[in-house]
Amino acid sequence: MTTKLRFDPVLLLALPAAIYMVIVFAIPVVVLVARGFMDAGGFTLSNYVNFLSEPFNWVVIGNTLRVAFWTTVVCLILGYPTAVALARSKGAVQVAMLIAIILPLSVGVVVKTFAWQIVLRRDGIVAALLVATGVWDEPKLLLFTEHGLVMGAANVFLPFMILPIYSVLKLADPNLQDAAATLGAPPLFRFFNVALPLAMPGIVGGVSIVFSLATSMYVIPSLLIGDRFQTLSTLTGRAFLLMRNEALGATTATILLFLAVAIVACSALLSRGKGDSR
Amino acid sequence: MAGNEGFLDVGGAEKSFAGHRVLNGVDIKIARGEFVSLLGPSGCGKTTLLRIVSGLMSPDQGRVKLDGKDITNTPPHLRDVGVVFQNYALFPHLSVAENVRFGLRARKVPKDQHKATIDKFLGLVHMSAFADRPVRGLSGGQQQRVAVARALAVAPKLMLLDEPFSALDRKLRENMQIELKGLLRSLGITTVLVTHDQEEALVMSDRVAVMSRGTIEQFATPLDIYHKPTTGFVLEFVGHSTRIAGTAGPAEGDVLAVDTAFGRIFVQAGYTRGSAVTLAVRPERIALGAPPQGDAVNYIDAEVKEIIFQGSRIHVLLAGPNGASAMVETSALPPGLGVGTQTTLWWRLDDTLIYPAEAQAA
Repeated sequence: MTTKLRFDPVLLLALPAAIYMVIVFAIPVVVLVARGFMDAGGFTLSNYVNFLSEPFNWVVIGNTLRVAFWTTVVCLILGYPTAVALARSKGAVQVAMLIAIILPLSVGVVVKTFAWQIVLRRDGIVAALLVATGVWDEPKLLLFTEHGLVMGAANVFLPFMILPIYSVLKLADPNLQDAAATLGAPPLFRFFNVALPLAMPGIVGGVSIVFSLATSMYVIPSLLIGDRFQTLSTLTGRAFLLMRNEALGATTATILLFLAVAIVACSALLSRGKGDSR
Repeated sequence: MAGNEGFLDVGGAEKSFAGHRVLNGVDIKIARGEFVSLLGPSGCGKTTLLRIVSGLMSPDQGRVKLDGKDITNTPPHLRDVGVVFQNYALFPHLSVAENVRFGLRARKVPKDQHKATIDKFLGLVHMSAFADRPVRGLSGGQQQRVAVARALAVAPKLMLLDEPFSALDRKLRENMQIELKGLLRSLGITTVLVTHDQEEALVMSDRVAVMSRGTIEQFATPLDIYHKPTTGFVLEFVGHSTRIAGTAGPAEGDVLAVDTAFGRIFVQAGYTRGSAVTLAVRPERIALGAPPQGDAVNYIDAEVKEIIFQGSRIHVLLAGPNGASAMVETSALPPGLGVGTQTTLWWRLDDTLIYPAEAQAA
């Protein structure tokens, strides 16, 4: 803290990107946010008061957070073990796994929707599996349901959970697990006291990326569940595209932005809490 | 060593990786309180043996007994075997004191005993002042101290050290070797050290097991390992030696005459006449100048090729007929000796070692 801030010329390398981001992102966002606080008479909070006093809109916020939450949980449960396996694998196996994880990102969501429509049908494989394992008594339609939405969203966002955790795990010293074992730590104790704390920066990173992506996803809910299930994103889209209600769109977009920033800030705080694991 | 020879008792340990046999039926018995080194080049199986004893790896064949109990199939966390790893493997997310506490928490030692135990072992390794520091900023030597304290704090029956000094610079390494040996001895902990550094093994150990290609070549005191190596590999791996190829000649009593490029050399051994042998002498056992009368000595003539000054010792390289060479280690050069001068070398008959010629190929 005592060192004086000196200008490092290397920072200039970020200048083109910074200018680009200001023009195409920062300025539009400021304009958008400002629009939500304005009406014909100037500054106002009425857009927010109106929006938040409408019970339906609380359902929308609830939908957004709930779907994002479950999507993140599914990604974490599937992603963490995958990241562990990926970090421990070597050579061709690791390359094959990485390709399998990253390649699906190059397939557009619209293409994937066709696959989901087959998979999530009443006679689809997921329904068949759930009936076969006795979870369901009879096959049901998963398409156009919240469960189906979470499945589809988790499918798209899974790599964004795996990769940050993997990047942290591959730097971790494999001897640490052995050291813990020889100190008398049983497997569960090792998991909670060594593996998990060391993976935490990656988990926090993956959770915040997936959660932000899942709160703001637009195409996936539009295609997988349709109009009767609104989230802040789809409502923002409707406000601008269908209702031509800029004030409403700006309001929902700002709330969404606030949620996303809050998530990133929380996760930054969380990883700061584990400060000495840097 | 106070009895109890088989405190650690490994029998018939075998291990292969992808068809390559790394351990080839190793048997070793270590007494309670003993300090033993596994010494060998990389790939000799010493680390594999250590991992099998710690439980981090299971043998394909064989068994491990500790304190009379068969622990071959016991998982590492139930073994009471402490390990100090080569890279120390301190938990980076925990402070120095929390690293030491880890084992106490894992073993459910009552909380009220934690502080006293942590203080005691950090004190023993002179790291009390660092208790609340993160481990990230510590130097190699400090990390090693913490790793030792952490392993000792859970009162293991057996301590395993896996090349613990290899990351330290020479001066620090020598100091830590003496200090750690003293600490472990004062606590009476049975210890197995894995190392490729012969000096380290000789300095620290009560006994040294020299390993090569998955087997133990010789298991003896440092003195015997150095002066009475039983195989050509041990001779070559530990210390320097002057080696002279020859053919077994006539024997008289238990003294065998061996014909070499330097002439006849005598040795106490029994070999079939005509078999190819290698004779060896430790360089500090060879003297320069005229041999004393009457003693049972060997002597040869050679020309000084090179004199290498190494501080406290001087190595003299010499050449004999037919390309034969010899090395002498001395602390002072006889007057008049220089490169190109002819001189006589002599050594006692007892200091002459002999091996079958092919065993020297290692």
